[in-house]
Amino acid sequence: MTTKIDEVTSMFMRLPLMLILAIALACIVGATVIAQEGGGPRVPQRPPAGGCPSISREFWPCAKAKAAAFNPPRNPDGTPNMNGAWNPFTANGSQNIEDFAGSQFLGPQVTLIVDPPDGKVPYLPQWANQRQDNWDHYIDPLGSCYITGVPRQTFAPRGIAIIQGPKVFAMAGEFAHQYRVIPTDNSPHIGDSIRLLMGDSRGHWESNTLVVDTTNLTDSTWLSISGHFHSDALHVTERFTLVDANTILYETTLTDPKVFRQPWTMAMPIIRFEQGHEVLEEPCFETDRDLPVMLQDHKIWTGLPRQ
Amino acid sequence: MRLAAAALSVFIACPVSAQTTAARDAALPRAWDGKPDLNGVWQTLSTADWDLQDHSARLGVPAGQGVVEGNEIPYKPGMFATKQENFSKQATEDTESKCWLLGVPRTMYAPYPFQIVQSPAYIAVLGEYAHTTRHIFMNSEHPPGPLEYFMGDSRGRWEGDTLVVDVKYFTDNTWFDRAGNFHSADLHVVERYTLVTPDHIRYEATIEDPQVFTRPWKISLMLYRRREPNVRVLEYECYTYDLQEQARRGELGPK
Repeated sequence: MTTKIDEVTSMFMRLPLMLILAIALACIVGATVIAQEGGGPRVPQRPPAGGCPSISREFWPCAKAKAAAFNPPRNPDGTPNMNGAWNPFTANGSQNIEDFAGSQFLGPQVTLIVDPPDGKVPYLPQWANQRQDNWDHYIDPLGSCYITGVPRQTFAPRGIAIIQGPKVFAMAGEFAHQYRVIPTDNSPHIGDSIRLLMGDSRGHWESNTLVVDTTNLTDSTWLSISGHFHSDALHVTERFTLVDANTILYETTLTDPKVFRQPWTMAMPIIRFEQGHEVLEEPCFETDRDLPVMLQDHKIWTGLPRQ
Repeated sequence: MRLAAAALSVFIACPVSAQTTAARDAALPRAWDGKPDLNGVWQTLSTADWDLQDHSARLGVPAGQGVVEGNEIPYKPGMFATKQENFSKQATEDTESKCWLLGVPRTMYAPYPFQIVQSPAYIAVLGEYAHTTRHIFMNSEHPPGPLEYFMGDSRGRWEGDTLVVDVKYFTDNTWFDRAGNFHSADLHVVERYTLVTPDHIRYEATIEDPQVFTRPWKISLMLYRRREPNVRVLEYECYTYDLQEQARRGELGPK
């Protein structure tokens, strides 16, 4: 019998890591046209979002200007209505977050980082080689069926469902059944000693923007397949703003004094899936078959190595 | 004193049941669309996750009054033996022992809190155990099968003030409880959620599976709203802990 579980897991969970990545690339890039520009790197040419170029560094100022002039559809309590199924299509399933020409295993990527302007993660010097080491020696925690953490949930494969209720904003992801519930009731964070893969998120509305503050995170999650990482001191601020009824400007600033020289910011469009799209169940650990294969040449990530 | 006497006379004059019903309905919190507001963190106090039926205590298991109407699960001939065999292997073979998604209805009476986030078109049930995510799509049809989901395909509708959810397209990978009660992939569950006070949901589920049971049967239990200040659903990422321990001991991956 052909089943959803069989199709998805045979695609993503039962194959060697590199093959998975190659297939993920093919699936996630999907409608994206890969254009060859002269002899340079292959750069994904993605359609505009919300009337703005979708490349992060161009989308960011354009979308901010458009959002400032947009009066969004609203929930009965007056908050902007973002209910629905959403696709962070420029993030390429979180394969990479910096400029990347593409390789045998990972697709090309235009950096999602808008600050600093060089589009690179500002690691402290002592961590300069860690991302490469992660790629060479460790399985992406998502590959061993960990949930994404924050902010990676927002730009993980397969998109997210946003559900809004009175004083609550929730994001349910399809990939590995992960979710976040974000109270918007001015409640405080939980005690600092409770650590959660998805952290503790508290939100509030600033005009038409949902601002989410996330703490209580761990160092067990990554930011991309390519191995970008953080410590348990990570503090994430996210901003969700409607640019038009079908486009969200998503901005996230990461602060982590153990690992980063300075706070840095990613920005990207999240676009509404077509009418009727349903975010469904995608089990991961339950039907995992490929971990033994991946473990032949990669290790389980157990948190940031001590230095 | 006079006020109390007046109140008493009103109380006596009205039929008691009518009065309490009216008072109850007026007190129910309402969502934006006027439906009963199920938003919040809920949890069972039943022992159904250990055993759906009446059971005495044993080491590590609290005694419990069952949640099955009539206390009988109508297994077809030969099927009860499978349940007994399951029980003998539950330490390793139970769904929860494997850290897999628990399915429906078990997620609703497993001893972990879950949060309901409700909108008119879509209701999410978000559980602490393994980040269980249930998507309930309102006023829509099941897609054409065949399909298999651990949590089934949930389609909801409101019948008056009761949320009715029709769930099918399951796997045969999940059990109903640690006692080994089980089903096939043909399981069909109809759930009814009725907010009876602002802090209590009466949860009923009719369970149908002609491969395993001679007739449909029903469970009924109460879900309690968690009222602690700033309470939230945390995480029980079941399968990660052992993996991390093995990795730290150097038992996984290349040397």
